[in-house]
Amino acid sequence: MSFFGFEQNNDLENEKRRFLEGGLSGAKQEDVAVYTWGEESYDGLGDALQEGGDELNDETFGAAEDIGKDFDFSGTALPEHQRAASHQLAQPPQGGSSQQQTSQTSQRASHLEPSHSSQLDAIWGNKSPFSVLPRSNGSSRAVDQLATQSPKYTHKPTSLNLGPDLHKGVHTLEEIEKEMLAAAAAQQLRQQQEVDEHSLQQELQELQLQERMLHQQHQLATPGLLQSPTRAHAQRPPAAAVGIQNTATPPPRMHPHSQSPRFHQQQQQHQIHLLQMQQQQQQQQRQLLELQEQRERQQRQQLLQLQEQLKLEELERQQQLRLQQQQLQEQQYIQNHLLHQRGISPALSDLHHRGMSPAMGERARRVGRQSPAIMSPQAPLDAPFAQNMQYLPQNIQMQQRLLAEMAQAEFLSTMQGPGHSERDLREARELQEMLRVEAMRKIMEAERMEEKRKRKLDKIAHMSRYNDLMTQSDKDFITRIQVSQLVTQDPYADDFYAQVYGAILRSRMGIATSEDRVLRFGSGGGVGLGLAQKVHGRRQGAMQRMEAQVERIVNNARLREKEKTSLNNLQGALGRTSGRSYKAAPRQLLQVDTSNVSTSPTTSHATAAHISKADSTKQEGEGAAREAAKMGREALATATEGLVRKDPLTHREALVKLEHLYDLVLDVEQRRRDQPPPEEVEEFEHWTVECNAIIDQIFDELMVSVPLETSHPHPFVSLITPIKGKKLLPRVARIFELQRMQVLLTLIVACFLQLDVVRQAPLLDSLEETREVKDLEVQTQAFQNSVVQSILPVIAKAQMRLVIGLFGILLDECTVHSIAMTRPGIALLTLFLSRVEVLRHNVATGSEVEELPTAEEMQRWHMMYNLLFDMIRPNLQLLFPSVRLALQANTSFVNVPNADVLDQPVWQFLATLAVHANEEQQQALVGGLREIVLENVATATKGWGNDSEERRRLRLANVNIFLHALGLDSSQITL
Amino acid sequence: MDASHSGIQEPFDLIRLSLSERVFVKLRGDRELTGVLHAYDGHMNLILSDVEETIMIVDHVDGAPEGHATVNVAKRKMEMLFVRGDGVILVSPPSRT
Repeated sequence: MSFFGFEQNNDLENEKRRFLEGGLSGAKQEDVAVYTWGEESYDGLGDALQEGGDELNDETFGAAEDIGKDFDFSGTALPEHQRAASHQLAQPPQGGSSQQQTSQTSQRASHLEPSHSSQLDAIWGNKSPFSVLPRSNGSSRAVDQLATQSPKYTHKPTSLNLGPDLHKGVHTLEEIEKEMLAAAAAQQLRQQQEVDEHSLQQELQELQLQERMLHQQHQLATPGLLQSPTRAHAQRPPAAAVGIQNTATPPPRMHPHSQSPRFHQQQQQHQIHLLQMQQQQQQQQRQLLELQEQRERQQRQQLLQLQEQLKLEELERQQQLRLQQQQLQEQQYIQNHLLHQRGISPALSDLHHRGMSPAMGERARRVGRQSPAIMSPQAPLDAPFAQNMQYLPQNIQMQQRLLAEMAQAEFLSTMQGPGHSERDLREARELQEMLRVEAMRKIMEAERMEEKRKRKLDKIAHMSRYNDLMTQSDKDFITRIQVSQLVTQDPYADDFYAQVYGAILRSRMGIATSEDRVLRFGSGGGVGLGLAQKVHGRRQGAMQRMEAQVERIVNNARLREKEKTSLNNLQGALGRTSGRSYKAAPRQLLQVDTSNVSTSPTTSHATAAHISKADSTKQEGEGAAREAAKMGREALATATEGLVRKDPLTHREALVKLEHLYDLVLDVEQRRRDQPPPEEVEEFEHWTVECNAIIDQIFDELMVSVPLETSHPHPFVSLITPIKGKKLLPRVARIFELQRMQVLLTLIVACFLQLDVVRQAPLLDSLEETREVKDLEVQTQAFQNSVVQSILPVIAKAQMRLVIGLFGILLDECTVHSIAMTRPGIALLTLFLSRVEVLRHNVATGSEVEELPTAEEMQRWHMMYNLLFDMIRPNLQLLFPSVRLALQANTSFVNVPNADVLDQPVWQFLATLAVHANEEQQQALVGGLREIVLENVATATKGWGNDSEERRRLRLANVNIFLHALGLDSSQITL
Repeated sequence: MDASHSGIQEPFDLIRLSLSERVFVKLRGDRELTGVLHAYDGHMNLILSDVEETIMIVDHVDGAPEGHATVNVAKRKMEMLFVRGDGVILVSPPSRT
């Protein structure tokens, strides 16, 4: 089959394919007749020949008197043939060096003899997989050489092996002839014994004649058996044919038995067809066939068990094949027409030149139809090989395995019985097909596994090249270097984010371990271990081993360090060179003297002021004079302990201070983590003192206790102007005690108007999305989240006196209405009002009797409340951001996007306001807000604003916050 | 204010001042960034948020005399950006008006 080619060169492959496509490709090139009895398109014309050509029979074959002589040609050919067959059958297990030798000799003979079938054909015809198995002897090579060296011969295609009748002839004809001979002998015997039975003899003679005719026909029908171009000379006398036939006997390897099943498959149907025709014509043969079929049945039963499972599949396949053949026939029909239109193909014309019989001509025409000139490259005949062709790109190794399997399968099938009928062969083929598919699958699988394994081994081998290149001490050395890079004085801080994140994770998982994932080495150094490894198994083991190794290395290093400091280390010091430590840092390019900070221009007070753009614009002209005046005042201030007016902190100064503050805060936080246990009194005290010192420093640097009039804005306000200043407050609040926080709160309230978020708040009443607005929005949120949150607990614990005091400061500025129009202001006012409410509640219930507000304080509170109420009463509606936005945008406040979220703090503030209000004030409140309340309730309940469900619910909830404080509800409002 | 507290000893300390502040970054390839600085390192790699990148694209019109190229400005905004340090030319606080 097509597996042959891959060991040979491509030409051979192509030739083989062409040959198998009908063995005709060569015909065009070489003008040699090719007979293809086995073609699907055979129309049986050859059989029909008989009718016309009977007269010549006697001339051609001699008289019919001697029955035995007619078959004599087989007497020379047949024994050889049989010998070859038996030879092959007897010897297949040896793989056949002798076979190949015979084939070699015969091929060589044929090579010398042009009339003989070509060697290439022999190779193609050699369908056994053995033919492509690796051969050590030179015989096959000789064949190859022959095949490649002489294209002239290789392209002489004869249907030597292709004749379907050939192998059928081997089975049937042999038997027929045997039977006939036997019958003839018997007849002759009877003839001698019973002369009077004349009629019977006549009958027999008729029979003989019939047989001879049959034989003649058979000869015509099976050129393959006679295997020769010599058959083209149809008129040649039998004797000559016999002589040639002798030499033309196919080599044993070309015996049909060794033909591949696939090939048989193609021809099978025609064989059946021929068989049927013959049966019609020849009764004897039919009997013989019946006999044969009996044998077949016996053999088939052996195979049947194996094949039953595959029967269905096989049927399918055959159907496809039949379909293919049909297509082929159609195509050939079309091509035939084409051929006739074009004229005659070279092969055909050649045949005509040789004076062929009409039947031959017809056959040749059929041959011509298939000449490559007409045959499309993708002729359906390719199809049977397509399956094999697709393996070609794949690696040869697999093909070889496949072939081995194939050979085995074929071998098994040939072993199964010497007398193979077509059915046998077909069944064997089916079996082979099954085996092949199965083998293919297994091979592929094995191939994959093998490849996988191989890759793994390769990888291991590749890696193992470097095995044991380093000694343990080498590895330790490298580990030491690596570890030394990780060791720091403050492992926690250097691994800060991983540590904190790990702590958060652990607390979230419920593992209450306060210990840091830090490896400490007594002397202050250590290695941060990062996050706890959640990976179990090998990796964890590796981590633990690493930790242990690091610890060991560090301990060793410490021991060595101790040794060095001891006196003993001087022993043997002479002649020893101290190696340069790997820890030695490379020389720094910039050596900045840390002690000489004054050289840094950025920190210089005056210069900084000049650099600041904000200041430079103001100071440009009068800079020098002001500087002098300020210096004078400062000098005065230190003397008088009075107020010292300073320029406000520039943005950059504030940033510098903030960075330093952050350093301090981080330091305190770190120290708090390192808090020694209270049992170690001395250490604990030391720690407390240190911490307090730093906290004091922070308090100082926050400039909280600097007099209010020092500058405008106050330095503290400048400090919390940057967003990181605001974000610093919650951290500071954690380390400050309450009293300091109260001071801080007081300062914030006192400087409330100076705060950036209050000053610039009107900017937020805009629907524009500029960068300033966005930044301010971010700042405001940071203020609410950081500053207000950090002062909230202070207010929540504040006494009435403090609240009244702070409230007084707010009102004192007479700008409450503007403060109340800012988000921070609303938040602060709400905080105060609700705190007072809580305090009043405490008075009423008598609980929390710590420091109840006195009656005088309550009096003052009412006074101040009334003042506040009067101040905000005229612009109640303007408290709502949505209203202010709507005013700017000239729309209704309900159309302001996100209005409800913006308004919520205001509703809350109004609710707390309403709680404190007396009846008259409540009426004023309701009167002032009536419009907004109604509008909100209406849009919320009736959905006028096309708002989402959620927004309407929020809107209603907002209104209800306020109404509930008055003892009302939105459901009471009828619209 | 005490100069000794400022702790500014090296150029990077100045960049530190701008942490969590809006900064202006000039980059190679005619690009400029403004964004809030969150982190930096010794390579001047920067982490910025709320970034607006401005790219100057100089188009040389065919046939136009030398120096008559048109400059197009492309802008884009990003939530968070990692700026590789080798492209940074300068980092400064944004000019305040």
